[in-house]
Amino acid sequence: MSRAFASELLKLRTTRTFFALALSAILLVGGISVLGAALGSWKGGQTPGHDLVGIATFVELFTLVLGVLAVSTEFRHGTITPTLLTVPSRGRVVAAKLMAHLLAGLVLGLLVVLLDIGLVEAILSARDIDSGTSASDALRWSIGYGAAGALFAGIGVGVGTIVRNQVGALVGAFAWLFVAEGLLGLVPGVRDVIATYGLTSLSDGLTVSGDHGSDALAQAPAGLVLLAYAVLLAIAGAALLRRRDVTT
Amino acid sequence: MAHAIEVDGLTKRFGAHTAVDDLSFSVSAGRVVGFLGPNGAGKTTTLRALLGLIHPSKGTATIDGRPYVELEDPIGTVGALLDGGMLHPGRNGRNHLRTLARAAGIGDARVDELLQLVELSADSRRRTKGYSLGMRQRLGLAAALLGDPRVLVLDEPANGLDPQGIRWLRDFLRSLAAEGRAVLVSSHVLSEVAQTADEVVVIHRGRSVAQAPLRELMAQRSGGVRVAGPDVARLGELLRADGATVQPAADGDGSILVSGRSGEQIGRAIAANGIVISELSPVVQSLEEAFFELTDGAGRGPS
Repeated sequence: MSRAFASELLKLRTTRTFFALALSAILLVGGISVLGAALGSWKGGQTPGHDLVGIATFVELFTLVLGVLAVSTEFRHGTITPTLLTVPSRGRVVAAKLMAHLLAGLVLGLLVVLLDIGLVEAILSARDIDSGTSASDALRWSIGYGAAGALFAGIGVGVGTIVRNQVGALVGAFAWLFVAEGLLGLVPGVRDVIATYGLTSLSDGLTVSGDHGSDALAQAPAGLVLLAYAVLLAIAGAALLRRRDVTT
Repeated sequence: MAHAIEVDGLTKRFGAHTAVDDLSFSVSAGRVVGFLGPNGAGKTTTLRALLGLIHPSKGTATIDGRPYVELEDPIGTVGALLDGGMLHPGRNGRNHLRTLARAAGIGDARVDELLQLVELSADSRRRTKGYSLGMRQRLGLAAALLGDPRVLVLDEPANGLDPQGIRWLRDFLRSLAAEGRAVLVSSHVLSEVAQTADEVVVIHRGRSVAQAPLRELMAQRSGGVRVAGPDVARLGELLRADGATVQPAADGDGSILVSGRSGEQIGRAIAANGIVISELSPVVQSLEEAFFELTDGAGRGPS
């Protein structure tokens, strides 16, 4: 298992995909943080630090894409064949990919949130504005966004294993996140479930930010539910992959 | 002791299409077996089933008596080269091998050794996007050899190699078999494996149509006797009347091709009838012709 995991980490490091996604996330979140902190205006008693850390939520989209690409890329280029020849157990391949991408997502999530907090604090203090951010806030956000980066990558791994087609998997994941959860939120009865267990709401709970507040779970339970999603999707993906004939 | 490779009653259906139909053969250690058939005959499906990538509808395909997915050290037991790209275009050749080696607990020293063996060291740090087909094949061969396996399964390894490369490959396969390894090598071109294979398995439309040492296969298929000369037309009539098959020879110079009679039998007929001939020679059927005959014969009729 540790060998398969080491192999997956090496795969991540030997193409440009991870680095390109990481750079894009850093530029996007860093850029908006700088603009927000430099141009925003706040009245006394507000918490600009809390308002601006939410920008780091973008990292979830990048790690989701990274995760989706984990298995779908192997099918696209046919590298799934040598992969399965070296590690014939398909469950083990998916487990190794899940762990490697949780780690990569964690690293990227931490990088992005620390960059966000650092830039915002530096610029606000230069403008002589109180960010209202305590050390414990910064710690909770760091844990939250690190975990969010990891767990969205994990969810992506499951989705990309179930839907091997790259475009289909990416479109499906984004459609769920930006369209389906919104529409389901309009359906009576389903609304309450989505308001607590939808990805958007869980992300708000986990990162202790956003403004869906009331129905969102607390940080730890939100993280555990997301972890359960990632694991269940990966198990479903592995079960499908095991039944599949690999002909590419 | 189980055969290195054993395919037993293997059947694979994709929907209504039967790609492999009740196929059986085996490969022993130290032998090179050519796996032949036209494109679409079911070779790749068979090899993928053997390697645990495709689930058979019926039958089994085992290595040392066990399914591939149950091997403890798959890379150290079987080396496989399959048809197709199988490379991430953005990863360099050396890193491609390193990702596979790492999954099998093999160090980078072995990777560099193999890159040298397949003469790719100079290009190994270039992204595979720029590789030629021949370079991809050689990289695939290096991947197959990572674990120094006792069994090799190679699907169309000569694809994309230049004549020099094909000769290199041929010598290479022979040396692998001489070291006691079992080699199963598929091809749709008989001549590629003719000089290498101890035995051939010929399949067509998923069924085995022949399985024998190459020499034996050729001996069963004599091409007849060609006779030329001023009186061959009369000889042809006499032989035909006697029940032999007589056709005009392919070269169209009036000579005839006699099947079903040995050279000696024809000679006796010539002497007994005082016929003048200028040439009498057995026709050796080419490997290609034998191959076409085998695969076309099975292709006739409803399918």
